[in-house]
Amino acid sequence: MRADARPIPLKIVVAGGFGVGKTTMVQALSEIPPLLTEGALTTASTGVDDVAAVPGKRTTTVALDFGRITIDRSLILYLFGTPGQNRFWFMWDELARGAVGAVVLVDLRRIDDCFPAVDYFESRRLPFVVAVNGFPGTDRYAVDAVRDALALKPDTPVVRMDARGGDSCLNTLIALVEHALERTAVAT
Amino acid sequence: MTHGEPWHVDEAPRNGRVVPVFAVTGGRTRSSGRDLPVESLVTTTGRATSDLQQEYRVIVEMAVRPVSLVEVGAALGVPFGVARVLVSDLADAGYLVVHEPPAASPDGGPTLENLTRLLEGLRAR
Repeated sequence: MRADARPIPLKIVVAGGFGVGKTTMVQALSEIPPLLTEGALTTASTGVDDVAAVPGKRTTTVALDFGRITIDRSLILYLFGTPGQNRFWFMWDELARGAVGAVVLVDLRRIDDCFPAVDYFESRRLPFVVAVNGFPGTDRYAVDAVRDALALKPDTPVVRMDARGGDSCLNTLIALVEHALERTAVAT
Repeated sequence: MTHGEPWHVDEAPRNGRVVPVFAVTGGRTRSSGRDLPVESLVTTTGRATSDLQQEYRVIVEMAVRPVSLVEVGAALGVPFGVARVLVSDLADAGYLVVHEPPAASPDGGPTLENLTRLLEGLRAR
């Protein structure tokens, strides 16, 4: 990397219910070994200094998986899998801030699991795509049925993918960035 | 920093962690004046690290190539809130340059230019 090429980080959030394939997708795309980091410390102290000085507060750590894709000589894309449990919403805010957008992974056998993520990104007005992960027995559902079941806005892309396949995951990211570009172009 | 430069050690550099990283940061999980996003990148300034404590030296050595706060946290095995404090200390002391995410478009996301570069880069893979 040239010294004058100032590195630029971008990020995409990968969300969805427990066991839907978030970690698999991040690992399929990442150029670095799977890494886990621990998230913020306490819900109560987020945004406040000095957790150690508040002994009464319950401390919570949350594992966060992430991956990295070097896009060009200065652009680096990070992928973040969201923590599964709803009590970690405060972490979602940190991850969604300034993000390109989000991929909401769906397992059609447990479609309810992705509603919180859909609601969250809609309310934050963050661009997202719904990606139906190819679990056995889910092929017979048409994309429009998925759109209806999730009550998605007409412009929200729905794609099929296989979280184990790097090319399939890459196509999902491309669909997301295309969608984000359209949204940004309209807004500017 | 209000406590001088606490990462300096008087003795020869030691291998391995001497004290918990929480002790290094004094229990801070937010650094004063900096609210760096988790994907913020750091690069080294080239300043010699021989007088740095182990944890700080590891970070500066990682940053010969751009690395993010989350990578620093994962490498040290600490929450990224702690990594944010350590990185900010090193930036304040002139060891690291922080590259925050670029200015956002009006809707809060990346600019049209950076999204276009990202799309081209992904399509070329």
